[in-house]
Formats: sequence, structure tokens, C-alpha cells
Amino acid sequence: MHRTWVSCAASLVFLTASAAAVESSLDQNIDALVFAKAQGHKMTPADDAEFLRRVWLDFEGGIPTADEARAFLADPAADKRAKLIDKLIAAPRFAERMAEAFNVMLMERRGDNDAWKAWLVDAFRSNKPWDAMVREMLAPDFLNEKQRGAGYFITRRLEKVGQQDTDYPGLTRDVGRMFMGIDLQCCQCHRHLSVSEYKQIDFSGLFAVYQNLKLQSADEKHKTPWVSEGVINAKYEFASVLTSKKAQTAPRVPFGEEVMIPALTADEAWLVKPDRKTKEVGQPKFSPLHEIAQRLPAPENPLFAKNIANRVWFLFMGQGIVEPLDLHHSDNPPANPALLDLLAQELTAHHFDLRWLIRELAHTQTYQRSSTAAGTHQRHLTAEQQLRAFLGATGERERLEKNTKPDVKVDAAKYSLADFQKAFAAALANPAKEPELAANPSLRSALFLRNSDYVHWALMPRPGNLIERLAAQSDPAEDLYLSTLTRLPSTEEKARLKSWLAAHASNKAQALSDFAWALLSSTEFFVNH
Amino acid sequence: MNPLCTPGDHHLSRRAFLGGGLSLLASPVLAEAMRQKDKQVLFVWLDGGLSQLESWDPKPNTEFGGPFRSIKTSVPGVQFCELMPKLAKQMHKLCVVRSMCTKDNAHSSGVDRIQRGDPKNRGVPYPHFGAGVAKLLGPGASGLPPYVWIKPGSGGFRAEDAGFLGPKYGSLAFGDGKPPENLLRHPDISAEQDAARNELRQMLDQRFAAKREKRVVEANASVFDMAEKLMARADIFDTSRLPERDRDRYGRHDLGLHMLVARQMLEAGVRFVKVTSYGWDTHGDNFNAHATMVPKFDQAFSAMLEDLEASGLLKTTLVICLSEFGRTPRINGHVGRDHWPEAWSIAMAGHGVRHGTLVGETNDKGTAVKSQPYDIGSMFHTWYRALGIDPLKTEFDNAGQPLPIAHDEMIPIKEALA
Repeated sequence: MHRTWVSCAASLVFLTASAAAVESSLDQNIDALVFAKAQGHKMTPADDAEFLRRVWLDFEGGIPTADEARAFLADPAADKRAKLIDKLIAAPRFAERMAEAFNVMLMERRGDNDAWKAWLVDAFRSNKPWDAMVREMLAPDFLNEKQRGAGYFITRRLEKVGQQDTDYPGLTRDVGRMFMGIDLQCCQCHRHLSVSEYKQIDFSGLFAVYQNLKLQSADEKHKTPWVSEGVINAKYEFASVLTSKKAQTAPRVPFGEEVMIPALTADEAWLVKPDRKTKEVGQPKFSPLHEIAQRLPAPENPLFAKNIANRVWFLFMGQGIVEPLDLHHSDNPPANPALLDLLAQELTAHHFDLRWLIRELAHTQTYQRSSTAAGTHQRHLTAEQQLRAFLGATGERERLEKNTKPDVKVDAAKYSLADFQKAFAAALANPAKEPELAANPSLRSALFLRNSDYVHWALMPRPGNLIERLAAQSDPAEDLYLSTLTRLPSTEEKARLKSWLAAHASNKAQALSDFAWALLSSTEFFVNH
Repeated sequence: MNPLCTPGDHHLSRRAFLGGGLSLLASPVLAEAMRQKDKQVLFVWLDGGLSQLESWDPKPNTEFGGPFRSIKTSVPGVQFCELMPKLAKQMHKLCVVRSMCTKDNAHSSGVDRIQRGDPKNRGVPYPHFGAGVAKLLGPGASGLPPYVWIKPGSGGFRAEDAGFLGPKYGSLAFGDGKPPENLLRHPDISAEQDAARNELRQMLDQRFAAKREKRVVEANASVFDMAEKLMARADIFDTSRLPERDRDRYGRHDLGLHMLVARQMLEAGVRFVKVTSYGWDTHGDNFNAHATMVPKFDQAFSAMLEDLEASGLLKTTLVICLSEFGRTPRINGHVGRDHWPEAWSIAMAGHGVRHGTLVGETNDKGTAVKSQPYDIGSMFHTWYRALGIDPLKTEFDNAGQPLPIAHDEMIPIKEALA
């Protein structure tokens, strides 16, 4: 089986292996821990078709064509799964799919932003280590064209909504949630009432940093909205609403040590002094933002590694080892503590290399088990996966990509890809600011699948699409099932299609379209199983 | 996030307070018994703030009384503003609370606080009353969406109304009384074709579920079923088939039409129907505005009460009419009235409330409540009680955290309950 370090120089191989201090590979160690926990429950491996569909949805974000599926299923090579994993990870689409998944996770559907998306894609394409990514998000260099997209994490959250105050507490909370897996919301006003280790000082130490920011609009120098920092020369004071007891803290990573506030006179405090005449907002010498960005994403902060290991596990296994993903604490222990420890340690030892971790996970038997096994999670596809799979199946993606200027009067040019993206997200995605742990089916999504013109349009016969292709075949069952469900039909399913076509013989294309609709609206299609 | 945690909040955790009684509450038998009853709710929201002085609590011939007279109602001793002659004849069906005293005098926060029952800050957004009822009573035998909202303007699915209960309990809003997007069968697909392919989909799901955990398939089946039920009752949105006589009785204006659509929804078995009328924020020209708007409300709301009584639905339907606050007794320089949460009125009727009752009173000028004042939390207690739900024994479950369904330091208005 391929390992990242195989391609490295021999000495490095030795170093890495000894540093990690494990004799077997990570994927084997993961499986050993999962099996130990399962206590003898048998883990049935997924068959090739199920594996193929899963790995495509996870790595590519869509499903393979019938031809690609046929080729994989027919391939007799023993290592074809490992080869497919490598191929999908090496493909340009992998970075885009990761960017989509992390955009939904980190921004929770607060809206789209091109610079942010480009930064995410670029980060995954160059396999930027997670700690470096987080540093760029936490203290963005807004003057650096390559980094400023990362600033959207902060700037979007500081935008004013209606009459409400700038949501500094919300930003503080999300830094804890997204990068350390802790939701400190309740600690804004007092110690957490049900989580003993979440203290008000943990919220306040971060809040001290973020309430010091000011959102600035894009200008000549800054091409995107950006944030300026004020001078902090004293500890931040807070009081519990329960006890009215006052306390203070310097900027501080939760559970960490306080950052020393340098003793600077008012004159010394500025690196660049604010100036009203030139509209210079100023730049302080002491930047708590940068201090936190150095200290939070670091091997010394154990929750940093655990959080991302857990989040990646969730993305690929469908369930977090700790759930909710943002409630790591001692009364909510991991389902498998040894497993989370192992992942966090190994990820740290591999310098937060997410691509490496993802490849290891995909190689595990745990990832490659059958969804019919007890306790296996069936994941609803995200709106993005569902759209990509739907357009892949119906064979309409290329046409939509070309239709940049839709024309409602011409059937083939009726919609653009953007129209579909908007419609699918509106019908299938969760509402904004909700952690997308599970996309819940809703009345809205059911009505959309059943009655919308988007779904109907894609299932009309048109040159080069699924329905037209099937209509030309005397026995379309195999193509239909491979194109939609990425598996071969059973004998019974072939017979059902045959009798369906016979019963609706007057209009074969319509009969095929209806049958394909049923497949594409079925649970088997819109869960990753 | 709301930073308005006040000292004293959360001193007692709910769980500690209720001790070991929790397991009883979760009893599926009890839950089922509650669901089986066909109680419904009509919630009429006059957005911006109806003037209590030009409606339920007139003060003619006083400093702030304004130009209108008051008239007798069907209950001796109770008088309404002359702009509500039709409702005056139905006071014997109503329960009017004149002693509302709430906290918020801004629309942006007031609308939300009143509809969420202004509970103590728990760090999570509370559900609107409709979402709470949807959660606690379910969709009922009709299988239709349990919380619908008929309003002018745009429609859609409003997950935020459900707060921590989750999007499932959000409102389904019908903008201008029109059906939600994609409700109707695609024009190019025949009814037989639609039914046949949907049956096929169900068959495929059964096959898929046979080998796996059923939860996911069941969740999908439930939303497709609800979609099916709603599609089958698309007629309740069809205003073109409404009898001309009813159109006249309810009034040929937005509120009249929307109230009529609401009646069809209640008749079809929707659990909770909210009707919103906008434009009540009369900072300027208050009296002309109320002279135009109150009679429309009088007409539509009284026609609704008549019809609900005639069909027997009033026996099982709790009817509530309110705004986010009342209006200032003092008349401003623009001959308007501003926001006044200090002393205003709410009207109720139907199931669980005491008919022909007046609760509380304001002082002579209408500037303050003279009797025991009631905050919105008390109304939530009253409404849940009227629906047969005991707020002391029923709680919401916020991901494992038990939370009270109504403000836990307030009590129901006993004299308003049947």
C-alpha cells in the first residue's frame, strides 16, 4: 500500500517512522482500535461498487460515469482501491471538493466569497498544513494577494447585521468552536453551568483579542474588507453575572497561558501611528491577533490537533469521535479516546498534513466497510454533492457549464450552472449559521425533488444526456443503474425496469425519465452509504 | 448572541429544580394522548402595534382618548372603540386582557421577544409560539405542516422561527396566501405518471432500507409524505374558488383574503395558523390610519369567529390576536401614537379561554396598568394551559438540556382560563 513517506528520501523515511514510534502503519492502528472497541462485531467490507461511490463522493464530490464505474468494477487488480484513492487525491477536483466541504464547515453558509474560495482551493491544492491555514485565517495578511482570502473567516463575521451590534462574541465563539472544538458561548457571561472546565476567563482571553478589531472597507491598498487592531495596554476586565466577581485576563488561548502585554508608553505603542488627515488607522506594535495566531495552532495546544482530527474523521466517516464537534470536554468523552489520541498525535507528528491523514483514513477497513453493517452511518449528501452527483448522473453538467447566458426560450439553454447551484442550495442546504452535521430532509427538499422544473428539465431527453442515451438502448438497465446508483442492477431490478418500460411503451423516453426520477429521488441516491 | 444575561439568571438549573420528575414527562403515552386531541391555534398578528385605545380599551373624552367614541358590546359593562362594531357584538365569545405590560418598545427586538414568549436568556434562541405548539402537539391527523403562516409579501420556509427546536419546526410561510414553491405538480407531468413514479420511489426505498438502519429512509419518507399531503390539499390555497359571499363578508382586502385562506387551513386540519397584517405602526396620522384599518380587521376577524363557531371549530381552536406592543396614550406632534409596551391589550377566544371575560384594567388616561400587570410570559403560560399543556410538567429538550416552555418565573392568568 502506498504511503506518503515512501516517496521521500530513505533517511527521512527512517526519521518519520521512528518519530511516530509505531511499527505498523496508521491505517492498521486505526482499524485495530476500532475493532477493539467493536468487541468482536464483524465488519463486513463494502463491495467494490459501494466503495467506488463512497470514495468518489468524498474525494471528488460527485459520482463516476457509467463507463468509469464499469471499468473499475471489471478491473481485476488487487490494489485497485489504493490506486483509485491516489488518483482521486491527485486530481485537481480533490482540492475543490475539500474547499467546498471546509467552506460549509467553517462558514456555515454565511454566503459566498470568491477570494475565500480561491484561498481554500489553493491551500488544499498546495497541501498547506492545517496549522499554517489556521494561522492565515486567524491573522490574515490583508496586503498579501495570496493570503487575504483567508481573512473572510473574520471579516464576514464582523459585518453588521441590521441594527445589531457587531458580533464580536460570535467571532470569539467561532474561533473556539472551529479551531479547538470548544463552544464557549455560555462563558461570555459566567462560568459554563454544565461544562466544568469551560471558564469565563477562557472566553474573555479570546474576546479581549477580537473586540479590539475593527472592520475596515476595501480600499486602494486592501482589495478586500480587512481588520485593523487597536492598542491593548492593560488586561481585559470582566465580571460574572452570577457572582458579580470581577477578574481580568490578558489575551490568552483558552486553557493556555496569558500573553505578556508589553509595557509601552502611548507614544511607543504604535508601529504606524493613526493619522486622521491621511486616514491612516494605525498599526500597534503589540498585536494580540498575531500572538493568538501563533499560539493557538500549535502542537502545544492539544485541542488544536484533536479538533481537526475529529473534524476530518467526521467528514470521511460520517460521525465525529466527539459529537457535537464543538464540545470537547471531560464529561463528553470521545467515543473512542485512544483512537482520537492516536489521530491527533500522528497528525501532529506529520506536521498537520491533512492530505496524508485523509489518505490514511481512506485506506482503513473502517472506511471501506459495508453500510449494511450495524452502526454504520448513512450520510445525507451535502447540497453540493447532491448537485454534482445529480448532474453527473443526468449528463447535463457540461451543457450547464457552457450556458453562461441562459435563454429561457431555448430548451437547451434554459439554465446555467449557477442557476442550479442556487436552486439546489436553497432547496437542500441547511439554513445559515447552523452547523451542518447532518443535512436534514425537509418538506422544502421533498417538494423540490418532486415538482421543481430543475429536476424535470434535467430528465428530459436532450442530445448527449442520460435519457437520450438510454432511449437508444434495447436493454438500458445496466447503464441506468451504473449512471445513477453506481452499481449493477440485480436480476429483480432488471425485470422491474423491463416491465415498467413495457407498461409505458407508448413513450419510452418518458418512461425512462420517470424511472430515473425515482432512482434519483430515492434514499440510496442521496445518502453516502 | 445576546449579551443581556442578567444577574440571577441560571441560579437554579432546571434539572435541579424539577428533580427526578423528568422521566415521567418524557412518557410516550402522555405525548401520544396530547397529540390525539385535535386542538388548533389561530394566531393573528397585527404587526407594528395596534392602538389599544382605538380598539379593545377606549378612553373617550380623556386627555389622550382621541376622537372616537366607545360603543357597547354584547357583554354588559364592556365597551370597545366604535371602529369595531362587529367585534363588539361578539364580545361574549372573547376574552380581552387589558393589563399587558411588556418590556420591549422596539420593533426589531419586540416582535421576536413577544413571539418567543420573552423567556430568560439561555444562550439559545427560543422558538416562536407556533414552533413550540408544532413541536409539542405535532401535525395531527391531517399530516399537514403543523405551523403555517399566511402573510403579505414573500413566502418560504422560515427555520429561524423554530429557534433551538431545529428547522423542522420552523414556519411554512405562504406569501400573499399563495402556495409554497414547487407545491404544484409540474405541468408537464400527468397525475398518473406522478403517482406511478412516486410509488416506484417508495419501492426502491423499501429495498434499500431492508438491509440498513431504517432511520434515514424513514426521515425521507416522512417529508415526502408531508409533501404529498400538502399537494393533495393544494385546494386550500386556491382563492379563486372561494364563495363570493365569503369574500364580501371577510372583506375584499389582504387581511380579509388571508383570514379566509386561514379558515380553509384550519378546516383542513393545520395545527397552527398565523395570519399577519402589516402597517399598524402609526407614528403619524394615527386616527385616520386606524379609521381605515381597524374596520377591515373588525370585519375579517369577526367573520372568522362567526364561521369557526358555526363549524364547531371554535370549540377546539384557541384564537389569539395581538401585536408586539400597544401605542402611546400621548399623541405626538404628527398626530400619531408611538410604541407603548407599558399598558396594552390582547384578545383571545375559543378553546380553553373563558368567554365574555375582561381581564385587568388601565388607569383613566390609559397610561399604566391599574390591576395586576401581565408580561408575555404569563400569556405563554395561559395559552399552553388553554391547549391542555402544563408548562410546569412539560419542557423542551435542547440537545439534552431541559428548558422550560414558558418563562419559569411567571404564571398563567387564571381568570382568563375556562
